[in-house]
Amino acid sequence: MKYSIYLDYAAATPVDIIAKKAMEPYLTDVFYNPSAIYQPARDVRKAVECARATIASVLGSKDQEIIFTAGGTEANNLAVHGIMRRFPQGNIVVSGIEHESVLIPAKNYDCKIAKVKQNGIIDLNNLKELIDDNTVLVSVMYANNEVGTIQPIKEIASFIAEQRIMRAQKAANSNPLPIYLHTDACQASNYLDLHVSRLCVDLMTVNGGKIYAPKQSGALYINKSVELLPLIEGGGQELNLRSGTENVASIIAFATMLQKVQNERKVESQRIKSLSNTLFARLSQNIPAIIMNGDVKRRLPNNINFCIPNTDGELLTMQLDHAGLMVATGSACTASNDEPSHVLVAMGLDTDRASSSLRITLGRQTTEDDVHAAAEILTEVLSKYQD
Amino acid sequence: MTKVYVGMSGGVDSSVTAALLVEQGYDVTGVFMKNWAQDIPGFKCPWREDLADAKRVAVQLGIPFKIYDFQKEYKQKVVDYLIEGYESGITPNPDIMCNQEVKFKLFLDTAIEDGADMIATGHYARVLRSRYEDGSDKFQLLQAVDQNKDQTYFLYRITEEALSKTLFPLGEMTKPEVRKKAKELGLITAEKKDSVGICFVGEVGIKEFLQNFIETKPGKIIEKESGNIIGTHEGAIFYTIGQRRGLNVGGGMPYYVVGKDMSKNEVYVTTDLGDKDLWQKTFSISNLHWINKVSYDLKLNSDVEVRIRHGASLIACKINMKNSDVAEVVLEDEIRALTPGQSAVFYAGDICIGGGVML
Repeated sequence: MKYSIYLDYAAATPVDIIAKKAMEPYLTDVFYNPSAIYQPARDVRKAVECARATIASVLGSKDQEIIFTAGGTEANNLAVHGIMRRFPQGNIVVSGIEHESVLIPAKNYDCKIAKVKQNGIIDLNNLKELIDDNTVLVSVMYANNEVGTIQPIKEIASFIAEQRIMRAQKAANSNPLPIYLHTDACQASNYLDLHVSRLCVDLMTVNGGKIYAPKQSGALYINKSVELLPLIEGGGQELNLRSGTENVASIIAFATMLQKVQNERKVESQRIKSLSNTLFARLSQNIPAIIMNGDVKRRLPNNINFCIPNTDGELLTMQLDHAGLMVATGSACTASNDEPSHVLVAMGLDTDRASSSLRITLGRQTTEDDVHAAAEILTEVLSKYQD
Repeated sequence: MTKVYVGMSGGVDSSVTAALLVEQGYDVTGVFMKNWAQDIPGFKCPWREDLADAKRVAVQLGIPFKIYDFQKEYKQKVVDYLIEGYESGITPNPDIMCNQEVKFKLFLDTAIEDGADMIATGHYARVLRSRYEDGSDKFQLLQAVDQNKDQTYFLYRITEEALSKTLFPLGEMTKPEVRKKAKELGLITAEKKDSVGICFVGEVGIKEFLQNFIETKPGKIIEKESGNIIGTHEGAIFYTIGQRRGLNVGGGMPYYVVGKDMSKNEVYVTTDLGDKDLWQKTFSISNLHWINKVSYDLKLNSDVEVRIRHGASLIACKINMKNSDVAEVVLEDEIRALTPGQSAVFYAGDICIGGGVML
């Protein structure tokens, strides 16, 4: 088996050994349904609630504001559909670079899409223009999954707070529509501050699959003031907002990892930033044609997204895989159609540039040797196939 | 080194074609022809996956890879031809048209323009190189070694000029040998299923496909002998002479389509397999195409055989030229269910000499 370097941590992360150990008993010995009455099941319930409390303390929320979901997509769907079904007379405003799991649910409703500047950061003025008295949900991701750009969530939050006050004054005696801010923090969780009271968000999606916990684990933070309807109904688990027997083992692993990555985020951010700087410097030196996509400063430390004009991103990704380097392309992430990434297109890149883009994302296992080898492989593959 | 551009569809045949040429020392470039594809709700068009497979094989072989976008031309030359043909009541053959217009014209010309010396495809066929009496090069189209896979029926409208610049590396191999080779080389397409049906239609049937383009109305199914209406059909365009299945006429003896009237939208059927309209010994062809420079009167009437559909056995025949574009074909034995719009393709031994479209 050839030695392969994995630099696609935005797509998936390996389950951390600590998380694996923490979850293992709940798959076999302590398998009980947390809703059952006998003592061993009550112990499982306790473990689930303990995990919830851990997450709440990391996010700075109340325990009851954490709803476990099966991954980020479900949490995003719950936020969008849950609120828009509760307030069908309202509209929703999202950014053009949201993940499909926000964008596509949002399009079922009266949806307005805020522009994004060429650097991959939301056009705040445009967003503000789009928000009106009937806007009940604004959903802007914390950091983008493709280009890693960090969105000005606090600024958006303070604008929404002003709106809330204005609405209350305007409405006088009648009941105005609420306005909520949701942020998808799936990619941000490893590196950015997730404290909800500092961010001033009403809903936030977190995803275990991106923080070294199992895929299909995650949670939606829902501020206690938010009114929304459930999508999955049944036994009434998760405060009636997400029925279904709790995925106990994954929840335990998820809580363990969210705490760990948030505790270590500053040190790890620095380490990763220095590695990605090294890698990008090497690449720019070896491949003069390279063009960085997205803001250079306001981005996740582990994300490098660039375009090499006149290359086929999908083909290059395959060639790199063959040479021992696993990365992602901006063109084929939506494998079912031949449209280039909606994120790069929203940033104003033309189709050609969008489909000649690569995304490299570093992670906890990435070493100095890895980034040197990766630069080597990329340079070699490009020189081999360039006419 | 000879530069060869290989048409790579993402299937096992064209994958092995490219691999063989690399082994033989050619300077190989893989090319995926992006042809027109219709997205029909409920059916996922497979081209995206096929393109990815073609790329993966090119990467495995370490060859450069290009995409030629022929969507516009393919729609005009192949898809529109198919739809118009069905509208007029015949059963066209889009594969033959695709080879004539796209693979061995557009692809060839584009590849040569891009610096190729030759093209190659994964067709099961061979090219025989010899000399004319005047000393000039002669290129003939030969049946494949694998009689089950021979695809010369689809290739009879190729020009000699195109043949002179084409390689068919699979012509000497059988399909099981091709699969074996793919496995030996570890090609990711080694176990991939062969595509069936019309490429641009994907998994959807021709009927569902045509319904997106042609407005059809239900009509009568009439028993030829009695004139009785024995059922209804969904549109006469969907029926082909000799067809037995899909008539939805219940009970008793099986019915066969013996004729149709497009203007009345009526389909005529019979239970009599011996009905004279189902059997023909003589038929006419037009749109003739001959691959090589031949003297029709002298050579065509001796030892010529004809194939009336892909995979059908060869039948001895005589060709009587009516004029340069119409001929009458006289078969040695009667055969059942000739399909207007399909082609009659002629062979002298292993050599495919040309053919025409049955009227």
